[in-house]
Amino acid sequence: MVNLTIDDKQVSAPKDSTIYDAAKLNGIKIPILCHDKKLKPFGACRMCLVEVEQMKGRQIPACTTPITEGMIIRTDTPDIIKARKLVLELLLLNHPLDCPVCDKGGDCDLQNLTYDYQVNSNRFVDSKFQHEIDYNNPLIERDMNRCVLCGKCVRICDEIVGFGALTFIDRGIETKIGCEFEKGLNCEFCGSCVSVCPVGSLLARPFKFKSRFWALNKQNSVCGYCGTGCNLTLGVKDNKVLTTIYDENQGFHKGQLCVRGRFGYQFISSDKRLTKPMVRKNGVLTESTWDEALEVVAGRLKGGTDVAALATARLTNEEFTLFKKLLEKAGTKNFDHSAGYAHAALTDGFARSFGTSASPASILDVQKSDLLLVIKTDTYETHPVVGFEINMAVKNKGVKLTVLSDKRGKLSKLPNAKTLVHTPGSEIVILNALAKAILDAKLTDGSASIIPGLPELELSLAAYGADAVYSQCGISAADINKLASEYAAAEKALIIFPVGQAYSGHTAELATAAANLALLTGKYGKEGCGVLCLSEKNNSQGAVDMGFYAQNGSMNALQILDACTSGTVKTLFIAGENPLNSYPDKDKVKSALNAVDFLVVSELFMTETAAMADVVLPVCSFAEKEGTFTSADRRVQYVKPAVRKGIQTKTDYEVFSDLICCLGGQIPPSTAAQFDEIAGRVPGYQGLSHASLRINSAFAPVSITPAFVVPKVPAPVTTGQGMLAMVTGSALYHSGTLSQFGEGSMYVCPEAYVELSRTDAAALKIADNDLVNVSSNAGKLQLKAKVTARMPSGVVFVPYHFSAAPVNTIWNGAAVTPVSLSK
Amino acid sequence: MSKVVAQQAEEQEPEVDLIKADQVIDKYIDLPGNLMPVLQGIQDAYGYIPRIVADHVAERLNVYPSQIYGVLTFYAQFHLKPRGRFIIRVCVGTACHVQGAQRIKETFFNLLHIAHTETSADLRFTFEEVACLGACGMAPLSMVNDDTYGKMTVQKVDEIVAKYSALPLD
Ligand code: SF4
Ligand code: SF4
Ligand code: SF4
Ligand code: FES
Ligand code: FES
Repeated sequence: MVNLTIDDKQVSAPKDSTIYDAAKLNGIKIPILCHDKKLKPFGACRMCLVEVEQMKGRQIPACTTPITEGMIIRTDTPDIIKARKLVLELLLLNHPLDCPVCDKGGDCDLQNLTYDYQVNSNRFVDSKFQHEIDYNNPLIERDMNRCVLCGKCVRICDEIVGFGALTFIDRGIETKIGCEFEKGLNCEFCGSCVSVCPVGSLLARPFKFKSRFWALNKQNSVCGYCGTGCNLTLGVKDNKVLTTIYDENQGFHKGQLCVRGRFGYQFISSDKRLTKPMVRKNGVLTESTWDEALEVVAGRLKGGTDVAALATARLTNEEFTLFKKLLEKAGTKNFDHSAGYAHAALTDGFARSFGTSASPASILDVQKSDLLLVIKTDTYETHPVVGFEINMAVKNKGVKLTVLSDKRGKLSKLPNAKTLVHTPGSEIVILNALAKAILDAKLTDGSASIIPGLPELELSLAAYGADAVYSQCGISAADINKLASEYAAAEKALIIFPVGQAYSGHTAELATAAANLALLTGKYGKEGCGVLCLSEKNNSQGAVDMGFYAQNGSMNALQILDACTSGTVKTLFIAGENPLNSYPDKDKVKSALNAVDFLVVSELFMTETAAMADVVLPVCSFAEKEGTFTSADRRVQYVKPAVRKGIQTKTDYEVFSDLICCLGGQIPPSTAAQFDEIAGRVPGYQGLSHASLRINSAFAPVSITPAFVVPKVPAPVTTGQGMLAMVTGSALYHSGTLSQFGEGSMYVCPEAYVELSRTDAAALKIADNDLVNVSSNAGKLQLKAKVTARMPSGVVFVPYHFSAAPVNTIWNGAAVTPVSLSK
Repeated sequence: MSKVVAQQAEEQEPEVDLIKADQVIDKYIDLPGNLMPVLQGIQDAYGYIPRIVADHVAERLNVYPSQIYGVLTFYAQFHLKPRGRFIIRVCVGTACHVQGAQRIKETFFNLLHIAHTETSADLRFTFEEVACLGACGMAPLSMVNDDTYGKMTVQKVDEIVAKYSALPLD
């Protein structure tokens, strides 16, 4: 600690603090404009000037000056006040001062400082800026006339987001912020720049003129999209969610969100939401009452050994538990989520390797590690805010990054990142080869010898010599050996991979193969180490923790659909899942849903799956209910209603409660009581309660019982002459199929596409935006071509998510699908 | 650079091949802090920095395209539009101003119809106003490429334009 005096007050602060930090820590307020605690010090605006006695009373910026022992600082002398007023006068000189119509009004640092310092006249005169306003994209308005050149947008887009869309253009009085060649903004649209802009230069367009800042009711919540579990603040007015509000103190990510969290909220208050229950009558879905709908459903569930259920991984923990109770009461054990295979890495893979169905690592380990081994660049697209953490780890902490991927991507561009582009579908082969290289070079940790299964593993790896696997994976022996030794040598190393419905190749076997590396080298159970499986949806991990999946011989999701087709399952309850669009093999799903006697779907929207149902129940989004979600790294987070639910809608929790009552069962008195029961039973959840989670989220700790597992390696895919290898996955702007109802996501990424390499495009004479037919054994799909540098030749990428062009018409769940492209 | 100018730069952009750019990039690829030398080399090779070459540099050096543009607009040495074979620089510094630089400038404009930083359609002339060329004793001063013309008069402008219009373009 360093001792110093600020405004006659004896204070102390940690030794790497700046004057600003030290003052803040001790409750002394120094005004700032260009400084942001998340960004590197910049020192551009001179708002934070203070006087330091040791520097002969010179005025220096507090935000960039480190403290030294015995420093004597004054923050509010008349000279300083005068200097700050001058700064403000100069900033206001060319500023349009159109506060009455500026959306930033009431939340604007420049406005607030002008008020605080009572700058009510200006000694200077000059003309106003005449910059053209950038309205080129639907999400972010850029009005450089209001800009104070604090550079926060430029810096956050580089330092945290790693996209680098913005720069300072020109110099001197001409300086402004913009994109290369003055193009309109065309970026990830994460809105990070909007969130840190101290003035109204960068604004969220969907929110423009919707409400004054102070009229918004601010509600803390947890993002309803992916498993990262970002915290967010919803801006609510008249019971409508109008925007997301930035709060730099929220969550591990300090308020940073991705495009889906920031701009994809519209599904909550969408007028496309289902508002009334519907029952099929004479073949037509007809508006009905809850009494009727529930009675019909309860009638079908009763005594239902032929009942099965699929749920979305977006239900709360309480809802999953209650749903299970309902199904058990009805008499079935056949229920699952996420197509079954999308959680197998946890429920089968980690269960065998680590003795627990959860990741032995957290997102917080990313920045604390020394080496990151990321499987698939898609990790950025599936979990963008984890991507921010990776970016910061690499850029600020010098963490080494190696990406094993079937294509390049944003992560490949990070400084010194090494991307090993491999043959699609050969991940497990490479992981096995790495394990063998570690064993052969005797790089194992002492702890490995006492873990069961080592001799069997060693034996099984005989065929995976680094030279031998080259023909299967396309990665050179040198690269494999180098990575193996770097991984083993790193003091701390973390393996990260995403799972999800589009990542059918990220199986239980892949999870065990990755786990073997950690177990061999002792890289688990310690800070910055482990294997982090990024589960897809906001409560995927919760669904697993609550046990809502096939166990002990009950049917998994795909078997349930088969059983619908064969007639063994007669009643199917689908809670929020949209298998017709998101499960492999659309035809097969369709025949299953056609065949099943009775289909009940609880949903927010009339999805294609809901449209086939006999009963449709209108339910609630995350923003209308109370409960808990568990993030991919087992942070248990509490949400409360941010808006009132529709009069005729119920939460899934209420639906399940009502149905249990109809079947004559007992229900817990409240969601809190339901959670208490969970806490009493689910490992890691002990001691948690709604009351404690309301105040702070908590990690559910993971205890590990390690075992080596021999991964089963899938047969290599042969693509065949003139065919390309199609892989599917997640587009950055989307999450599952829900984001189709988030207008922000649809503005920037409205449709599916097929992404291909420049070489393939040239050979096939396909140009960007051409319409091409993508055909596989399963079917044909017409998609827009996107020609990019990141795709290796021979490989094409088609995102899932989109109802209008569902990839499952050409994809039957294989990790790699041979396709042909034609115009 | 204004939006209009940027658009012009794009529209005017002739077909460029990237081979010259790749040669420059290959030369510096392993040098730390190679952005400036690469951009300078590219300007030497093409006479200016064509937009698609800037994008290509971004891709090959793995720097943000925006960052390259920031550098290109920060330093006056870089040009984003094709430049004329002959660069006419008219000094409008204080000494030259007093000695009638304004008239010199206007005369050039009347003859060539190009203003500050503009280039004639045939890529023969680029016109630039500069502040003090450092030879105030010869005010008003103009330069064409490396040739200096002191004590400029309206008459001399005619002669200069005639002289350089007659020279071959290559
Ligand atoms: S929205 Fe995100 S990616 Fe786009 S400029 Fe802003 S910070 Fe950068
Ligand atoms: S646009 Fe906003 S954040 Fe960016 S430099 Fe200007 S004032 Fe700062
Ligand atoms: S979608 Fe995922 S990464 Fe994006 S804000 Fe939501 S939780 Fe965070
Ligand atoms: S806040 Fe310190 S210089 Fe801007
Ligand atoms: S002012 Fe023209 S040369 Fe100095």
